[in-house]
Amino acid sequence: MLEVRSIFKGFAGVPALSDISFEVSENEYITLLGSSGSGKSVMLRIMAGLLNPDAGQIFLRGEDITNRPCHERRIGFVQQKYALFPHLNVFDNIAFGLRHRNNDRMTDESLITRKVSEMIELVGLTGQEQKMTGQISGGQKQRVSLARTLVTSPEICLLDEPLGALDANLRERMTIELQNIRKELGISFIHVTGNEFEALAMGQKMLVMSEGRIVQQGEPQTLYTMPQDLITAKSMHSFNIFSGDMMADYLKAGIKGKVPATKISRASHCAVRMDKISVANSSAKASGLEATFLTSEFLGNKVIYFFKTNDNRICEVEDHMSLSEPKLLNANSTYRLSWDASDMLLYDENKQLIS
Amino acid sequence: MRSNKGTWLLLAPGMIWILLFLVAPLIMMVYVSFWTQTTFSIKPDLTTQSWVNFFSSDTYFGALLRTIKIWLTVLIVTLLIGYPVALYIGQFIKNKTLQTALLVTCVIPFWTSFLIRVLAWRPMLGKEGAINIILQKIGIIDAPIEVLLFTELSVIIGMVQIYVVFMVGPIAFMIGRIDESLIESARDLGASASTIFRRIILPLSLPGVIVGSIFVTVMVLGEFATASALSGRKVNLLGNIIITQVGSLKWAFAAVAGVVLTIVMAAFVAVMLRIVNLRNQI
Amino acid sequence: MDKVVSLKWFLGIFTALFVLFLYGPFIVMGILSFQQGPEGGPQFPIIEWSTYWYQHVMGYAPPSRVAPLPIGEALIRSLTLAFATMVVSTVMGVLTAQAFRRRFRGSGLVFYSVILGMIVPGVLLGLGMALLANQFGIDRNWWSTAFVLHVVYTYPFAFLVMLAIFNRFDASVEEASLSLGVSPARTFRKVTFPIIFPGVLSAMLFAFTLSYDEFPRTLFTGGSDVTMPLAIYGTFAVEIHPNLFAFGVLTTLFSFSLLVIYAILLSVSTRRQRARASGLQEDIS
Repeated sequence: MLEVRSIFKGFAGVPALSDISFEVSENEYITLLGSSGSGKSVMLRIMAGLLNPDAGQIFLRGEDITNRPCHERRIGFVQQKYALFPHLNVFDNIAFGLRHRNNDRMTDESLITRKVSEMIELVGLTGQEQKMTGQISGGQKQRVSLARTLVTSPEICLLDEPLGALDANLRERMTIELQNIRKELGISFIHVTGNEFEALAMGQKMLVMSEGRIVQQGEPQTLYTMPQDLITAKSMHSFNIFSGDMMADYLKAGIKGKVPATKISRASHCAVRMDKISVANSSAKASGLEATFLTSEFLGNKVIYFFKTNDNRICEVEDHMSLSEPKLLNANSTYRLSWDASDMLLYDENKQLIS
Repeated sequence: MRSNKGTWLLLAPGMIWILLFLVAPLIMMVYVSFWTQTTFSIKPDLTTQSWVNFFSSDTYFGALLRTIKIWLTVLIVTLLIGYPVALYIGQFIKNKTLQTALLVTCVIPFWTSFLIRVLAWRPMLGKEGAINIILQKIGIIDAPIEVLLFTELSVIIGMVQIYVVFMVGPIAFMIGRIDESLIESARDLGASASTIFRRIILPLSLPGVIVGSIFVTVMVLGEFATASALSGRKVNLLGNIIITQVGSLKWAFAAVAGVVLTIVMAAFVAVMLRIVNLRNQI
Repeated sequence: MDKVVSLKWFLGIFTALFVLFLYGPFIVMGILSFQQGPEGGPQFPIIEWSTYWYQHVMGYAPPSRVAPLPIGEALIRSLTLAFATMVVSTVMGVLTAQAFRRRFRGSGLVFYSVILGMIVPGVLLGLGMALLANQFGIDRNWWSTAFVLHVVYTYPFAFLVMLAIFNRFDASVEEASLSLGVSPARTFRKVTFPIIFPGVLSAMLFAFTLSYDEFPRTLFTGGSDVTMPLAIYGTFAVEIHPNLFAFGVLTTLFSFSLLVIYAILLSVSTRRQRARASGLQEDIS
């Protein structure tokens, strides 16, 4: 439905996006994960028509919209800091697009009232219609911003870090609500975020961006379990990554089972998911990587343990409370860390997964 | 996105206006200053006669020197009076409302016509004026001071009162903008009050001084009304010369005086703008 | 610390004296406006307190040797001129400041050539304009040659005010409007303009005040129909009378009451908005 074809964009000679291509299908929730400076917001602004690409094309339902001005694209854009109209109340904010857009402008106030009221109900803002934007909370602002865009029934809706400014509680609730609202309306969403859990949880499809490139795209499940690219693995914040000379030692020390020698010879980096590492006492005869326990962090549904290896690297181990009881470890004592050969991902010098 | 064409379209009305009604008149003034002036008429034959006359005449060259003297005096006095006031408003008044109220107090006199404000100095400074009456009442002087009115002094007093606010405003604005934590941390580090003033407040208020000086300069150099109202036509500034020359239809001569005035002013403003970039201060 | 406290006192007293200096002539003017008339002159002592000169300004006083101020026509001319100047310079100031929101080549040159309009002394510009008008055989009138110079003078002020406003303006609301399908022109009318309106208002106030009192630029270009400042300047040549002072007091009171009305309107509208916001009031529209 929407196709982005090899987009390039630079600012004052510094490349911000290079060769970005992807597709969005009908009725799909796509998340775009990237750290700040990865180019994800630039990509969003180009799709919205707020920036022009240096090269490349964008097609919407087969039509080239690359040079079409923003207000004729029918692409909704929900901004990071809501960008509500400060001089209008909640109702007028939401009705703004219907009343003033160039194409298909509505003049029938009763029709506007009906559409806006439906949308207000859908996003759960009933009773707030007459409030000014300064008088509502962050979560409500987020809903107004979303409703304002969705009421104009855009072909596709872009969301720039929509949950970034909300507190943790609200974020969780909005995560569910966003998906429900989208399903209700059947509009495709492209959701940009720097938070890997948000990206994993919400997307039916997920794109990972780094340094202006798309490093991997696919289903969140696949990306999480089998990151094809080391950068993808890094951006999940769920892997311990070992590189360079030291890697060989870890390979020998920590693995249970065999890894084919041909694979090892090609590998420059390896990654082990934090929840796939098991911890044993150093006195136990079992093999494993020696490491000193530093501290742990209790996160409610999981615990993260921090270890220091003999060459002063930090190795994190994660325990999910649903699977096991929290471990009782002594600070500054030495333990042995080990993992299954099959849980270890090896990457070549180009940071690509060796299969 | 709006294109570059859009930018120039937005700029077009202002730029055309400036070219037609600001740049063109200034060029015309320079051009006319080289025309041939006779007693009764003016001809567009190019000559430097008016320029030679201007600089060889004691009256006109003297007026130039007097203009510069009065300008520099007013500039220095407004700075000396204006800076402490600005320092008080910007640094010692912490209450924002009070600060605004004080600044508004300074601006209120501007609602009275400039010319009436100038004239109001006459009953103030005259032989039987308010100042002499008060000084005699409290016994500081026996006989009224006569040099107060219709002298260079009265012109300077009048100009200082009218233009000092343009010095206070920009300086107070810059001082008020200084981050309070900067001064506090300097104090915590043991800096004395005078060090804080010299090393923090003075340099940060400098752009205000520059902007204020530019304001006062362009206004004083273009002045003629204060001089004619408070000097009894005894003090002639370049501005007054221009007025009388135009009155007697000596356009070329008026243009010469105008160009000279522009050069003095442009030189000063250019030097000031070297010190501070006006655009960054907004 | 003691030094700082004594400095504070010193500066406080200095500032008080400064305010006295600013208002001194003002107070004297106020007192003398109640001088006896028509014989009493614009100086002390007060022969007898009276409101004669106020009546004189209003045109109620019986004819005397003191000619009445040409208030009627000159005042209307001045107000018309100030209004037109205000509209044109504010529109141009907003447009130029809008252009400055994007970087463009030559912006420094454009910036300083606009600023030049407030820097060049009025006499010079008036002279240049008069010469130009003579050259092309254009009649000099307050509504033509004087008007364009008034705009040259007030346009930079409006521009600077709007530039400062736009520096604090969050452009994302405009982007939001565009992405809702609203054209750039309508976005400006429905989003940008309402938000910057308070700034526009103060730019207008600036332009009006400056133009109303402007006089060196008008002197050579205003033609034979005088504006208010020119009328006052005309009295310089002859004797001045306390009627000028009475007029000064009246205009000050007039502008003061205008400002009070403006402040009241502003506070009423914010209070109404707050009431609407808290839902205490039914939607009025």
